[in-house]
Amino acid sequence: MLCDRCQKRDAKILYTEIINGAKKEQHLCEECATDYTSFQMEKPLMNSELTLGDLLSTLLDTYSSAGVKKPDADPQALTCDGCGMTYEEFVGKGRFGCASCYQSFHSQLGKTLKGIQGSDVHTGKRPKGLTATTQTGRTKLDISEIEMLSIRLQEAIEKEEFEEAARLRDIIKQMKKEEETNNA
Amino acid sequence: MLKWYEQMVPDSDVVISSRVRLARNLATYPFASKITDEQARALVEEVKEINASLSEKENKKYYACNISTLSDIDKIAMVERHIVSPLLAEKEQATGLILSEDETISIMINEEDHVRIQAIVGGMNLERAHLEADRIDDIAYEKLHFAYDEKYGYLTSCPTNAGTGIRASCMVFLPALSSARMIQKLIEEVGKYGVTIRGIYGEGTKSLGSIYQISNQKTMGNSESEIIENLKRIVFQVVKQERKRREYMLSVNADEIEDQVYRSFGVLKYARQISSEDAMTLLSQLKFGKDCGLIKFDREFNIHKLMMGVQPGSLQWTLGKNVGSLTRDQARAEYIRKELPKIIINA
Repeated sequence: MLCDRCQKRDAKILYTEIINGAKKEQHLCEECATDYTSFQMEKPLMNSELTLGDLLSTLLDTYSSAGVKKPDADPQALTCDGCGMTYEEFVGKGRFGCASCYQSFHSQLGKTLKGIQGSDVHTGKRPKGLTATTQTGRTKLDISEIEMLSIRLQEAIEKEEFEEAARLRDIIKQMKKEEETNNA
Repeated sequence: MLKWYEQMVPDSDVVISSRVRLARNLATYPFASKITDEQARALVEEVKEINASLSEKENKKYYACNISTLSDIDKIAMVERHIVSPLLAEKEQATGLILSEDETISIMINEEDHVRIQAIVGGMNLERAHLEADRIDDIAYEKLHFAYDEKYGYLTSCPTNAGTGIRASCMVFLPALSSARMIQKLIEEVGKYGVTIRGIYGEGTKSLGSIYQISNQKTMGNSESEIIENLKRIVFQVVKQERKRREYMLSVNADEIEDQVYRSFGVLKYARQISSEDAMTLLSQLKFGKDCGLIKFDREFNIHKLMMGVQPGSLQWTLGKNVGSLTRDQARAEYIRKELPKIIINA
């Protein structure tokens, strides 16, 4: 059966309207049905950013309120020295304002990142030839990767994050083993 | 030089392409949410300059441009071919693009992050895509001061990208799984492993012609190679499932499927006007038939190239002008007729 409106494509949808008790039935193809009815059958291509942002900001909101332990340390009052973004603004937008935001919101970020990413420690690539200081101004020590991991392990134990500690311990073990086999 | 979608590659019965994207930001500019128009213009100019060192070191041509200088058709065609994201094409602020001549590498400037390096290769080859993107990242870093933190890794605009900034994805063709309505279940299943399945143009888009995108969700806590290894394992599982399902479909329904494949070919070969949705559906059936060996052609050809060619933007781009939808449907039918090879009919 052809679509009642365009008379070209196959009708796939039976569209029933009841207005003031008067019933009207139409056989429509998907395209005409989309035009005719107010509901979109499928989401359009372009408006995706909004939904993700909204979802993220709800998530961030949950994490930040869960993060308030001491009443005097109100995370909402945090402001980034780099770009002037407030923590509240960050939670609302779900986006950082600049590289310095990571340091400015440092106290809240651990929980947030663990919630979203399952971890708040990067273990991947370092820029080639990066030495001296990091972009956020913290000094980078000239130490091996194993030493770096050991420091993180120590930190994890201090913070009683035993799952993370166990994970780091296993990585270090593995790396030492590899080193030994390489040297042998 | 052949474009990635013009080459013949392994595993392309299910995996059409592999893509790796690295998100990077310059420490010297505010991020996208805070950057002013003037800073955006300066950013685009600064990043565009790496074009020269790329061309020199990579020994192939790279083109750099401001997105605002492109026509709407160019932009849409580039979105359809995954060279730029819908966001970059739509943004009102200054945005830029660096593109390699084979379209393998594209660098988006002032998208959600200042720099997004993307490498696409045909078939199942995430490692190569990563290698390519990683090399470009190193070359770019010689000139550009990327924001990096020893704890948090590469700093990105959105916390969901921080750390490695990597998004690895495979574009997969799943006609059997989607006709068995198994995609939803698959989405739930792979979700447990930090992997998502979405329509071909990313977040919130619909799937066309049974093509989906499988990608990693988390970017921090694991190294780039671990992320890729994990995704690869899952994609291989999906490939296995899809192939199994195809076999099953063929074992119970071979006659109907063969009929449908040849009907699709008939319509594609002889239609005088065709919409892009119809063309995608029919081409996907034809690809299915070709992959299963139900239909044979007198020469090798890449159906995925055709799938991109029939999209509204790419088609008008080939035509060189903006045309109304009826003319477009006619032009599309003509384009398909010209590109489709002859079939070999077994006696």
